[in-house]
Amino acid sequence: MSAGVGVTPPLVPPAGAADAKGRVRTAGSADAIAEAEPRLVRGPSRRRRSRVGQVLAWIALTVLGIVFVYPFVWLVSASFKPRGEVFDNRLIPETFTFDNYVQVWQEAPLALWLLNTVIVTVLAATTVTISSAMVAWGFAYFRFRGRGALFGLVLATMMLPGAVTMIPTFLIWNALGQVGTLTPLWAGNLFGSAFYIFLIRQFFLGLPRDLFDAARVDGANQWGVFWHIAVPLAKPVLAVTLIFEVQAVWTDLMRALIYLRDSDTFTVPRGLKALVDAYGFGGEWHWEIIVTASVITTVPMIIVFFLAQRKIIDGVASSGLKG
Amino acid sequence: MTAAAPSAAAGAATPAARRPGGAEGPDASRPVRSRRPGSWWREARPALLFLSPWIIGFLVFTAWPMIYSAYLSLTDYDVINSPEFIGVENYVAMASDDKLLLALGNTALFTLMQVPLYVVVSLILALLLDRAGRASGFFRTVFFLPKMTPPVAVGVLFLLLFNGQNGIVNTVLGWFGIDGPAWTTDPAWVKPGLVFMSLWTVGASVIILLAALRNVPEMLYESARLDGAGFWRTAWNVTVPMISPALFFIIVVNTIAGFQTFDEAYTAFFGSGNTTYSNDAALFYVIYLFQQAFGFLNMGYASALAWLLFVVIMIVTAIQLVVSRRLVYYEGDRK
Amino acid sequence: MQRTPIVFGLAAATALLLGGCAVGTGGSGGDADAEYDSGSDLSGELSVMGFSAVDEVAQARIDVAETELGDVDVELIEGELDLQQFLSAVASGEPPSLLYADRDQIGSLAARGAILPLERCIEGEGIEMDQFLESAVGQVTLDGEVYGIPEFSQVQVTMANADLLQAAGVTIEQVNGSDRAAMTEANRKLAKTSGGQVQVIGVDSKLPEFLPLWVAGAGGSLISDDAKTAQLDSPEAVEALTWAVGIYDDQGGFSAVKAFRDSADFFGEGNQFATNTLGAMPMEQWYLNVLNDVSPDAPMAFDTVRGTDGEPIAFTGGSAWAIPSGGDNPEAACRWARAMTSTDAWRAAAEARLAARDAEGKPFTGILTGNQVADEEIQGMVTGGGEPWDSGVEAMYEANDHAVAMPANPADAEFEDAMQDAVNRVLNGQAEPEEALAEAQEKAQKALDDAWAELEDGD
Repeated sequence: MSAGVGVTPPLVPPAGAADAKGRVRTAGSADAIAEAEPRLVRGPSRRRRSRVGQVLAWIALTVLGIVFVYPFVWLVSASFKPRGEVFDNRLIPETFTFDNYVQVWQEAPLALWLLNTVIVTVLAATTVTISSAMVAWGFAYFRFRGRGALFGLVLATMMLPGAVTMIPTFLIWNALGQVGTLTPLWAGNLFGSAFYIFLIRQFFLGLPRDLFDAARVDGANQWGVFWHIAVPLAKPVLAVTLIFEVQAVWTDLMRALIYLRDSDTFTVPRGLKALVDAYGFGGEWHWEIIVTASVITTVPMIIVFFLAQRKIIDGVASSGLKG
Repeated sequence: MTAAAPSAAAGAATPAARRPGGAEGPDASRPVRSRRPGSWWREARPALLFLSPWIIGFLVFTAWPMIYSAYLSLTDYDVINSPEFIGVENYVAMASDDKLLLALGNTALFTLMQVPLYVVVSLILALLLDRAGRASGFFRTVFFLPKMTPPVAVGVLFLLLFNGQNGIVNTVLGWFGIDGPAWTTDPAWVKPGLVFMSLWTVGASVIILLAALRNVPEMLYESARLDGAGFWRTAWNVTVPMISPALFFIIVVNTIAGFQTFDEAYTAFFGSGNTTYSNDAALFYVIYLFQQAFGFLNMGYASALAWLLFVVIMIVTAIQLVVSRRLVYYEGDRK
Repeated sequence: MQRTPIVFGLAAATALLLGGCAVGTGGSGGDADAEYDSGSDLSGELSVMGFSAVDEVAQARIDVAETELGDVDVELIEGELDLQQFLSAVASGEPPSLLYADRDQIGSLAARGAILPLERCIEGEGIEMDQFLESAVGQVTLDGEVYGIPEFSQVQVTMANADLLQAAGVTIEQVNGSDRAAMTEANRKLAKTSGGQVQVIGVDSKLPEFLPLWVAGAGGSLISDDAKTAQLDSPEAVEALTWAVGIYDDQGGFSAVKAFRDSADFFGEGNQFATNTLGAMPMEQWYLNVLNDVSPDAPMAFDTVRGTDGEPIAFTGGSAWAIPSGGDNPEAACRWARAMTSTDAWRAAAEARLAARDAEGKPFTGILTGNQVADEEIQGMVTGGGEPWDSGVEAMYEANDHAVAMPANPADAEFEDAMQDAVNRVLNGQAEPEEALAEAQEKAQKALDDAWAELEDGD
């Protein structure tokens, strides 16, 4: 189960229906929500004021898109070139070869590495999304003395370069006996992460309070307000969190490098580093292997991203209150 | 780049004008202060339930490394042998370290160039995407692509694409009759080159802004249109104030990240591999810190460097927070 | 902020609870109770950090070593040595049993007690130190103690484009470093620029990385033999740097040359020699294989790099096996190091490489092992690839016989950094050679003094 993905409870059940906690919603909260409705949600694309504007946007996007996509296309095409042609700057390889992929595939237990990476990524992304949303809600909705200072402390944890906290953190995981397992690569996310807490908090602050106060008046408990009202409304930002964390974990080399030893536990970036180092031996860089490794790391992410973000972000704009 | 207070010109389309200082800033909690002991607990208890994951995580995983690194900054520590307490010697040594000044200057300059550009570019892209209709999913993926590419590849591509002799960047500039500089080798142009390169990874901010844009009530646009506000006025008076929390987030987070910039510059100019030509112009603070920690094995000194950076970032962020109170508009504060 | 003291109080308490586990292991965990004996049966685990088994050369040697180790369970932690990875392991008190590192990293690790002196290991396992290149052994010897068993070596040879030389009326002797004035002149003849754009690099003096080579060529050294005194501001160094930078200045400056150099497809058919855009440069021997692979018809000419006395010279580097302090299996680590660097292992490796090259229909150009006995044997296995490649291989072996290196340096990273900084500042036009090197000298000397003081302390 994860926030922002899959089935979410409808925000407003028909009046009189019992919610998950067995409480019966009264008209009051529904009214409050209905009132807030137009301010919260709009249809997906009712903002088109002119065809011309859209066409211009398309042209601009296409030009910029080429700028953004070019380096990656370069990378993909280089991965199909033999060693002698990697840097020849042709987008269509002169000599088209699958050898690099075959070589990487033969040298490495890629399937196993992919499995490890998927496990870590799923655990990391779901835990960080749920925990960060909770903490962000704690900072956004409640008022208590010291809140500002505590939130400052959350931000402060982002300000110390990781290079100096890396070893003490390693010692903690070592004391917990987790070095050499996949745990340190994701379990820290159970406690939320400053970046996402800040992000989601900003979003929550933008929601009208009357919505939640009304629900409280109706007798929803604190958790119910968060889970049934705040979270569904925050789907876009939770989707963003999920996507960012998937990206971050998928490409995380440093932690994998210091925590993992046995190649059976390697994640994809860690495994590819071993491979690439071997091919870079003695300064003799086999760039064709390096670019191929980069492509192999990136492509699954692109596919997941493309499918997920379409479903999630677009789904958000049109779902929810309009029913 | 900040959101100006919406003028009343757009009438109903604009959120209520703000009371000076009235917007709830990130740390402006004004709880009802009560003298009775235990009242704080009553007030904070429900919040603590939600904050507990972070508090536990902080105490177990974050506080100790932070405090420990603060202690290490007062020691001579090479990671191999036990730390040796030397008082403030590391901090004294920093005062006469000319490389530190160079690195800090480089970093500040980079951040100053990068953050505004980053915000403007990501805002423009997000606005375009918001109007793109069906194709926006495809383009979102395109803009997020570079963020997904491993940094080592990005560093190498930087050297290739920005090459002063035949890199594609200068080739394109050449079409417009501009004689491009030696981005990768001329000290004066290295930082701008890296700034442009970093713009290539704006995808993340674009997605955040897009999510914020999607939540701007259509109603406001409708009334702005009825008022006859044009595109720019609508953007300035409706869009920017309504997404100012997201903009504020991007500015703060990118400033923090800018001061800690490392990956691409390290790969391009300092990483192992095919180049031993390190460029002073690309010596950023965290790269220098990293060299001290893992190159010269001066973990104690590196910890002191880290805490100096911590203080610098803290001050900059605090200024941003204070300024934001006046400029950021939170829907939740409307009463 | 009234509440934060509580938070920090709790945090401090946590710190006290956890504080017990944060100590380094340096200096402790020696190998006093290790029994090194080449005849003993070993068991247990051997974790090796920094070594990857990927090509036939590595695999053939691993097979030899594993046979020697018998029941020991070998675990390779794959990938090049990463200091963050190694130091994390050391800090937690569980370093790997064996380390594979660059020879120029040995000095500072040894000075800090991260790796063991190998005297007892060498004696017990019967490792013949005199079979290794003297320069390589020097790189792993600190204060008279050997800290690493060396393997592989990189040497530079002069590589030139014969067609360009001929067209400019230049001979290879004029670009091999033996006569620097002639080399400057040859560079002017070979180089071609137009409108501020470099079109042909005449000579590439390969700064900053080859400054030590040019200094050695003039009979100097950047550091004293006992590694206690930096000599970055010695006359040889100032002269070498001034000359080598001048080579770039004569072709429009380093920035332009480097941009042009970087734009070439170094590893491909578009390399500078194949495209006739480079007259000559010193380069490590492995580039020979690259050229032979991707542009077998390039009009190459080879020679060793030569000192101003006309003798061959090369400035060598390579890898080494070292045993971390506090490792859990020093006996097995020592035997592994012996086996991997033995003549038998190298012979097996060369046979494997030869077979692989044969299968591809390519010549076998030899391996520089750091082990002289093995080198000599392998040189006899080299298969001809025809000229000019054969003379390239010959130059490589000759260079190997004349290789010099810097002694192990307890502040190697700072030293290297000071030197590179100085060279880069001169290249960028930010300083004059003399002043830049004087500054580097001061920095490097301070780092050396500190490191040696630390070392004396530790004893």
